[in-house]
Amino acid sequence: MSSSSVHRLLQRSVGLLHVLAIAIAVLVLVSPVWAQDEIKIGVVMPITGREAKPGQYQREGIELAIKQINDGGGILIKSREKKLPIKEVFYDDGSDQSRSAGMAERAMSSDGVVAVIGGYSTALGEAESVMPDRYQTPWITPGAGATTTFSRGYEFVFGTLSPIDLLGYTTAQYLGTLVDKGKLGKGLKIALALENTDHGVEYGRGIDNWNKEHPGYFNVVFSEKFELGATDFSGLLQKVKNAHADIFLADAHLQDYITMHRQYIQSGMYHQMISYGARGPEADARKALGAATDYIFAGIWWSSKLAYPQVKKFNEDYQAFTGHAPDSWYPATAYDAMRVLAQAIEHAGSLDKTAIRDQLRKTELKNSILPGQVIRFGKNGQIQGSFVIVQNKPDDKVDIVFPLDAATGESVAPKPKAH
Amino acid sequence: MGVTDGGNAGGSPVPPFVSVVVPLLLLTSLTAVPLVGPGPNIIRLLFVTLTLVTASVGWNLIGGFAGQISFGFAVFYGLGAYTTALSINGGIPPVIAFSLGAVVAAVASLLIGLPTFRLKGPYFAIATIGVSEAVRVVMMNVPFTGGASGYRIIDKTRFVQSHHYYTALALAALAVGISILVRRSKLGLALIAIREDQDAASDLGVNPFIAKLIVHALAAALAAAAGGVYARYSLFIDPDGVFAFRNGVAILLMPIIGGVGTIWGPVIGAFVYGLIHEEVVANFPQAHLLIFGSLLILIILFEPGGVVGLFQKFMRSIRARSSVGAHS
Amino acid sequence: MSAADFLNLFIAAVLLAGVYAAMSVGMTIIYGVMKIVNLAHAGFLMLGAYFVFEAYDRFKIDPLLGALLAFPVFFFIGMGVHWLLVRRIATSDQPTLTSLLLLFGVWLVLQNLGYLIWGNSDRAILTPRTLSSLEIGPISFPTVRLAVFVVAVASLVGLEFVLHKTWFGRSVRALMQNKEAGQIVGVNVSRTAQIAFGVGIAFAGAAGGLLAMLYSFNPDFGASFQLRAFVIIVLGGLESFGGVAVGSLILALAETFVILILPASYQPAIAFSLLVVALIVLPEGIAGLWAKRRRWA
Repeated sequence: MSSSSVHRLLQRSVGLLHVLAIAIAVLVLVSPVWAQDEIKIGVVMPITGREAKPGQYQREGIELAIKQINDGGGILIKSREKKLPIKEVFYDDGSDQSRSAGMAERAMSSDGVVAVIGGYSTALGEAESVMPDRYQTPWITPGAGATTTFSRGYEFVFGTLSPIDLLGYTTAQYLGTLVDKGKLGKGLKIALALENTDHGVEYGRGIDNWNKEHPGYFNVVFSEKFELGATDFSGLLQKVKNAHADIFLADAHLQDYITMHRQYIQSGMYHQMISYGARGPEADARKALGAATDYIFAGIWWSSKLAYPQVKKFNEDYQAFTGHAPDSWYPATAYDAMRVLAQAIEHAGSLDKTAIRDQLRKTELKNSILPGQVIRFGKNGQIQGSFVIVQNKPDDKVDIVFPLDAATGESVAPKPKAH
Repeated sequence: MGVTDGGNAGGSPVPPFVSVVVPLLLLTSLTAVPLVGPGPNIIRLLFVTLTLVTASVGWNLIGGFAGQISFGFAVFYGLGAYTTALSINGGIPPVIAFSLGAVVAAVASLLIGLPTFRLKGPYFAIATIGVSEAVRVVMMNVPFTGGASGYRIIDKTRFVQSHHYYTALALAALAVGISILVRRSKLGLALIAIREDQDAASDLGVNPFIAKLIVHALAAALAAAAGGVYARYSLFIDPDGVFAFRNGVAILLMPIIGGVGTIWGPVIGAFVYGLIHEEVVANFPQAHLLIFGSLLILIILFEPGGVVGLFQKFMRSIRARSSVGAHS
Repeated sequence: MSAADFLNLFIAAVLLAGVYAAMSVGMTIIYGVMKIVNLAHAGFLMLGAYFVFEAYDRFKIDPLLGALLAFPVFFFIGMGVHWLLVRRIATSDQPTLTSLLLLFGVWLVLQNLGYLIWGNSDRAILTPRTLSSLEIGPISFPTVRLAVFVVAVASLVGLEFVLHKTWFGRSVRALMQNKEAGQIVGVNVSRTAQIAFGVGIAFAGAAGGLLAMLYSFNPDFGASFQLRAFVIIVLGGLESFGGVAVGSLILALAETFVILILPASYQPAIAFSLLVVALIVLPEGIAGLWAKRRRWA
């Protein structure tokens, strides 16, 4: 090779090396510097993709709590002798579990957050739950309720969503009270259509558990799982019809609830009681189904109809902050997750993550807006709260029908045949 | 299928010395990264990118060299992830677990390739989508691997991020090495002949079917190893995640961005996708789809040969200028 | 299961086939003329759905009418996209990677536009027609699915008319059969391609509008339909419209009836397994089978 081409070669190599170095430097610099005068909290929620809507609502709940705390100056940190404001570091995980895990890891490892709130839906929650212990950073999920996430002996994992099998259990329990009151007969047959996810499986298990403990009340004659996002449920509904059940319990996401119930109505089906699991009173469902949603009941983690004063205040604040009323239960568990975290940080007196985690284990949020009015994490990190059963009533009304001490209206059972 | 040739076929404008120096520099810098302490996020980013490099280079073997465009590589990625996860939970050491995943995927690639290779162009592509999605749905229902709830690796060992990083780096280097070897071998020449005109190639004594099967198996093995390495890092996998159609699309996008059918195109494409995509998503939660989509459109409109194509044009124009200079 | 039940299921499958056919036709046109697999098809389905939704929500235009209005609107959108982007890439006799990547980018952009304009709420269109059924003896036809079926079939018939009776249609068929020969006899390739792309997108938009009457949607909408469209057009033969109808029918029947034997969670696997099996047995799709028969006759 001639000397000039060697020269050019070296030039180019050096040039490329420069480019590489700059690229790496940029990446390093782009990593945020540790800001001393604020409390960084990571929030990883889906705002695009399949879980976009509930993710958005949960984000709003968290941000409302942050705003209220910051309006009061922030959280008092004893070791700094002053109040520090909260800074939210938000990532959209696009309803994708690998991105969810990646964003949680990113927040915990290099954004300098003291905790992460995230994981709407079980799959996203499970993916994220690997990171808290890895980076010794507390993590609270307001949207993932599967018990499997909390049964791995993790030390930094918490959840404000009560277990889903308890939801199924409470649903069956509610139906049992209707039998006791004489509104429903004994020995009725139940058909179950469960979405093929952790959620659906646990829901079904909860119902089975209650039935085993209370023989003679109900008989599950049909139970099958369906895939999310189907275009047509005719075949499945035909099987449900063939089962000749009295009660139809499904567990579905909103889109499938709408598609399935439309086809249910179109084929003229009827059951004495109908539920779609944790879906029922959603505004979008009302808009899509109109009067067909009447008398559908749902087991949910919170209702804006709860008669606690703190719930009333939350409803007003949320409406003012977002411009719309709280939809179903989504913002509530997130709102309280942020509040209990803030309380734990204050009790810890510093920004040390392990100290905050220790406080989370002990702390009790006393004016929680969730049913029961108190949040206390169980040994495995998950709260064992209670549920409310709500039933849709005509004219877009919703009533809490169970537990009886929180009820705002009477259960209508069996469902009128009218429509 | 509109692919550009690159690498070191005769008359290439890239001097052979550069094509050795630059990769070595890259490898050295990447090896040095964890040692200069850039923080766990950078290492995570690079780790993910390196697994993407492996999958991308793997896909390029069959899609770029042989011109057989598969949209369904998620199936191999997923099979690798699950096989590795099951093996590690069964007490098998990680490297063997990755290899097991590679073997399973290679076998699957034979089962898939045998009936589908005789399909023409788009039919093949769509058949691969069908296979990938069918496997995803089946995995969503098989209770043994957790079904829709996903599967967990129980790992009692302490997490040392650099171990995972170096594993991914080694695998990526291996992938590139395999790619270079294939390209320079008789098999590589045969594949290019097949890609340009399959019937003419067979007239010349190449058996296209066997050649494609071999390279499909290699490609599947690499994609599976990438899936396995990823699974070991993230500890939780589920069918809607690893077998997602979106993954199959990403795996094919990367070589296209970088320059399909070349050696370094898939590597560059994986870096672009891995680093830029994540930064865009992280910093623009409301607009990342728009940004990334526009980026893709611009690449395609202005340089369909990808980054490597751009580079080659640049090199050619320099050479043209220097040869003009020599004559005057 | 009684005879009435069986018949009802069969009707449900046929009506579903109408929906499927409507949404697949757009892809077939574009592929047939330009050999481009339109990966942005789902994005236009989504925009069509929102178009009809806005027409209904703001202007109280009946969704069926809205879907018909979508034809001209999306025709121009399609021509615009072609002029802006698609015509700038080289096409060949085989689908090119560049076209795939370009249209995938377009799909991402459309999705984000959807999120920016409409947010991530699930929307649905509720009319008195949505929940009612037409009862003829023991057979019930869900009214809205029947309406969609009628519109879908009408538009397919209209398309066949255009293809066989207009100069544009003849140009399209010429190009679909043999591009070079078409050029030799004087077909203006670029003009025909642009119009064909427009027509393909017009069908996508209108189909999206029809789908909006049946399902709830958000900017993510369309991906699962697009995958099914792939299955259908391959089953039917990528370049045949009659094939699209047959492919849709086979898929709809399979999805509806196989569920009676298999658990419902395997339903999506049916479409894909069907596809794979069909391709192995019939590498050119069902239309290929017809073509072979015709050649022997």
